[in-house]
Amino acid sequence: MIEAALQFQPTEARTFLQEVAARSGQNLAACYQCRRCAAGCAVGDETGFVTPNRLIRMVMLGDRDQALSNELVWRCVSCYTCGERCPNDIQTARITETLKKMAKEEHVPALQPKVAHFHDAFLESGVRWGRVNEMEFMGAYEMKNAFLEARRFRFGAIMSEIRQQMRLGLAMLRLKRMHMGFLKSGGRAEIQALRRKSQAARAAR
Amino acid sequence: MQLAYYPGCSLKQSSALYDVQSRRVFAELGVTLQEIEDWNCCGATSAGKVDDFLAVAMAARNIGIAENSGFAEMVIPCSACYSRTLVAQQRLADDPALQQAVNGELRRPVRGGLKVTSILEALVERVTAGAVAQQAVLKFRDLHPVCYYGCMLTRFPYRVTVSDSVENPHGMETILEAIGVRAIDWNYKTACCGASAAVNDPQTAMNLMGRIFQDAVARGANCFVASCPMCQMNLDAHQETFAAALGLPQRLPVYFITEVLGAAMGIPPEELQTDRHFIDGTDLLKELEPHEHDAD
Ligand code: SF4
Ligand code: SF4
Repeated sequence: MIEAALQFQPTEARTFLQEVAARSGQNLAACYQCRRCAAGCAVGDETGFVTPNRLIRMVMLGDRDQALSNELVWRCVSCYTCGERCPNDIQTARITETLKKMAKEEHVPALQPKVAHFHDAFLESGVRWGRVNEMEFMGAYEMKNAFLEARRFRFGAIMSEIRQQMRLGLAMLRLKRMHMGFLKSGGRAEIQALRRKSQAARAAR
Repeated sequence: MQLAYYPGCSLKQSSALYDVQSRRVFAELGVTLQEIEDWNCCGATSAGKVDDFLAVAMAARNIGIAENSGFAEMVIPCSACYSRTLVAQQRLADDPALQQAVNGELRRPVRGGLKVTSILEALVERVTAGAVAQQAVLKFRDLHPVCYYGCMLTRFPYRVTVSDSVENPHGMETILEAIGVRAIDWNYKTACCGASAAVNDPQTAMNLMGRIFQDAVARGANCFVASCPMCQMNLDAHQETFAAALGLPQRLPVYFITEVLGAAMGIPPEELQTDRHFIDGTDLLKELEPHEHDAD
């Protein structure tokens, strides 16, 4: 017998599908596996087996473990090509974004931790100051990376990352593309209130 | 004429040249871009990946400010900011409960009705009115660009209405035509540069940009023209890396549409800050001659 590529989890299937569909706003059940999405996926070379249609099928089968931790969820660049071309109007990027959030909530380690660190650091900076300060947020992002690598005792990785960022940083400095001032918006209090509201709504759910 | 203007974070930092150029070029066209007061970060793609409500709410606050300041139209140069703002506006319009929840925390609530315009749409409008051709006093001798649109300007995570074609946009070509530049047709105008993957997943981003670059070179282009600060920065700052990985000797400057326009309008390069590119493109932009307007 050949081993199935995707696992059917009868007890999970319905609830998982409903949760992903509700949170992403996408009608996954409409997918008829035509693979137009797969044909145009920007990161097809990088993700291999897990194409957008297969990710959808994974969710429908209730294969939660695979759905939360696979190359497409963590490598999707949100280019929206799949959704633009889907005859059933399914935007897979909204699904990968949803699965990233669910992975975080369920403490499933990110397959690409840097991707998670980047978006967290970016939004933190935007909410804290009202505007994103490139240097401050890049610093926070690199700290998150370094912290994780240090916990894994991978100091070589930290050094090479620092060297790489330094090279880019110096070039930016030379071209006067690095901003030395600090951006702030008085509206940050409103943004923070909105975030509290969002967090409260999430906690209630 | 005054239009509301949302620069966004990157135009105040690493892409400050784009901010300078946009204001200058629009001034030349008789339009004052009036920066809305106390704007905040739109949340970019990150908000959508971390907190869905904030992804709408952050952009909504800026819409509220523009509307309450009495503007009917807001121009946004950055593609990511434009996309987030347009999508947020549509989602609020489609979901009154969401609009109420967001407005509850806003000092200047969203009422609806603001026209959100990309910089290309705003420029194309001025091309149609004849203003761009009129201001183009100089003509490029040797500019053979490919126009690069990327993702955020063309495809959206939510159903919105835009003026240009999704798979084969033409805004930039139209603008360049008005100053006598013929852009080269190619296959990768709406391909993805990887955006933030250049930082957090470089291998993926370099592959994506390598393919874009290869096609541009194969078509005989000698520069890129872009309108998104993220795309511009990526193709410019990392070109040494991905071009070298492909073994290609060519290096193509990556211009903003505004600096090409500005140069044709006779604005001095120093004012346009054209020397702030990783791949030097100052010489090509100086290859100008007086425009011989058609006799008719
Ligand atoms: S394009 Fe749409 S319907 Fe076709 S396989 Fe992909 S998600 Fe399913
Ligand atoms: S949005 Fe993500 S899944 Fe869809 S085509 Fe782009 S990279 Fe692939």
